[in-house]
Amino acid sequence: MKKIISAIATVALVVGTAVAVAPAANAACSGKLKIAYQGPLTGPEAALGINELNGVKFALSKFLTANKGANVDATVYEVDDQGDPAVAGPIAPKVAAEECVVALVGPAYSGASKVSLPVYLSAGLSIITPSATNPTLPTFGKSIFHRAVLTDDYQGPAAARLIVSKNKNAKVFLVNDASDYAVGLQKTVDITLAGRVVGKDVTPTGTTDFTATIAKIKKSKATAVFYSGYFSQAAVFVKQLRDSGSKITFASGDGTLDDQFVKLARKSAEGALLTAPAIPFETASPKLAKEMTAMGMKPGVYTTESYDAANFFLDAIKAGNTDRASINKYVSTKSHKGLSKTLKFDAEGEVSGADVNGFIVKNGKLVLLGAIK
Amino acid sequence: MDFALLRDAFWGLTFDGLALGAIYALISLGYTLVYGVLRLINFAHSEVFMIGTFSALVASGIMGVKVEDDPRTGWKMILTLLVCLIAAMLASAITAVLVEIIAYRRLRQRGATKLATLISAIGVSISLVEAFRIITHSLPREFPRIMDKTFLLSYAGADIRNDKVIVIVAAGLMMFALERFISKSRYGKGIRAVSMDENTATLMGVNINKVITVTFLAGGLMAGAAAFFYILVYENTSFKVGFFLGISAFTAAVLGGIGNLKGALFGGFVLGVLETYTSAVFGTAWKAVISFSILVLVLLIKPTGLFGESIQQARV
Repeated sequence: MKKIISAIATVALVVGTAVAVAPAANAACSGKLKIAYQGPLTGPEAALGINELNGVKFALSKFLTANKGANVDATVYEVDDQGDPAVAGPIAPKVAAEECVVALVGPAYSGASKVSLPVYLSAGLSIITPSATNPTLPTFGKSIFHRAVLTDDYQGPAAARLIVSKNKNAKVFLVNDASDYAVGLQKTVDITLAGRVVGKDVTPTGTTDFTATIAKIKKSKATAVFYSGYFSQAAVFVKQLRDSGSKITFASGDGTLDDQFVKLARKSAEGALLTAPAIPFETASPKLAKEMTAMGMKPGVYTTESYDAANFFLDAIKAGNTDRASINKYVSTKSHKGLSKTLKFDAEGEVSGADVNGFIVKNGKLVLLGAIK
Repeated sequence: MDFALLRDAFWGLTFDGLALGAIYALISLGYTLVYGVLRLINFAHSEVFMIGTFSALVASGIMGVKVEDDPRTGWKMILTLLVCLIAAMLASAITAVLVEIIAYRRLRQRGATKLATLISAIGVSISLVEAFRIITHSLPREFPRIMDKTFLLSYAGADIRNDKVIVIVAAGLMMFALERFISKSRYGKGIRAVSMDENTATLMGVNINKVITVTFLAGGLMAGAAAFFYILVYENTSFKVGFFLGISAFTAAVLGGIGNLKGALFGGFVLGVLETYTSAVFGTAWKAVISFSILVLVLLIKPTGLFGESIQQARV
């Protein structure tokens, strides 16, 4: 008898848990509609997440000022995945189960996107990512996936062209941190650079000692190194590179493009070439940038793209769409004229008609070089 | 596999490996001392190291050094460096002693099982890591450059940098001092006695509590020194800096023979050099795989480590 009761109890527990965490597709929301943002809000990568979150918050506040009485929650539903797939995995079902979350700006990072997208797909939750650049993401997100930036299929070649434009005889050494984003980005850089690549190394996230990598770089007589990864480790690497006496060009992608990189690497960051399929908010609209700063939020990298993504969702809500399916249909079919570009997604959820921008670290600041031809 | 790189850059890699190994050796002393005396793997030791790095950072702030400042020179530089070193050593030592009093002593006095003490150790480690994660908002912190990094000389292709020379020499001096302390001083004798046989030592009049406290203190001081040297060379720290270094240092202690002082020293230097060589030959991504595979291999051949455990011999 005891065995039967415990067996029934176990089955009930399992079923109950499954029901509780099963994503609620199109369940009706009884309160205000919520826009969610997913990205690193704590952790070493938080600086980037906060820049994007500010873009979403700013868009939301401007929308509510212009549309008083709209049934939209004034607070952004924040999802902190620390830029880490291991953190994103468990929290995605919780977000999907939140009935009033009808749209999500994010996830910011490619690795976290890979694990979150299948969950959001089965929940029908529409997402527009402002910064995840791995080209394979549409296969995970399918109908709900939209991307407001160019992928690494464009960023990689642009970065390669930027390096070569500074030195026609560039010999490049490639380093990546083994994350999904970095591996994808390095692949496209590698293909474009072709015969100019003189060596490669992988330094997984958490590497503190780059002695061997730097020895390899020196032996290969490379004139430039392209680091694929994120700013916190890029800063550690470039510092050790410069401290070893190496003066070669340091280049990296959008994962490194952040004020924190310059702050952590200080003098070693000087002269670093960085790329991003992003446009600084101050360049896109100086007026709005001032307004945003006055509200206590400083714009950063990808703020413009997040702002545009949030506004596209708000357009959908303003047009009378209040559930996930209709909002997804709206952003998949209509277009939105944003600050960074006009968002019109193709069948894969990708956008076109934008540039990859080059940046250089000069006198301790990130300076826009302009679009990379 | 790039053996050519190892051959060409051999002296450079060896020098850098020794600097890294010096840091490992200092940390592994803490693990080996505590194991020798208590038969306990002090998981909280990695956080003792981490707290040392943050104390050095705070001390540099108190000395008025800002991150944007140029490096200092002369007496001012030496003074600042010494203050940071002493601050790191003191903070680590105090943390180590507090951990012993709070987490281990009561369990020991009530005759708790080794398992209970181990769980307590893991618990302390996790709570300290999480506390610092919250305090630092999970952000890494940079350490200002107090001493300019210059190359002293170039020997056979190796660039000998001043900060790494300081680390190797100073670490060597500290290890020598500790070895003298263990073999010559009264407390050193007490530590060796307790590591041989706790009950007999008590019967001989050794104050167990005091000896254990001194053991943790010594291990903490070494970890604090390691923390300062780490932050001098790498110039950054974060709440999780203790984790990987702790694992490597513990591995070094086991490699040399856990409970054996000389083993910890040797194991630390060997592991530092080994990790650097394997990174050069196989790629940095394979470093951990190869290093730990070698550890397993050594233990298969000699299970008590290269120098043997010291449970029955007075080799602490």
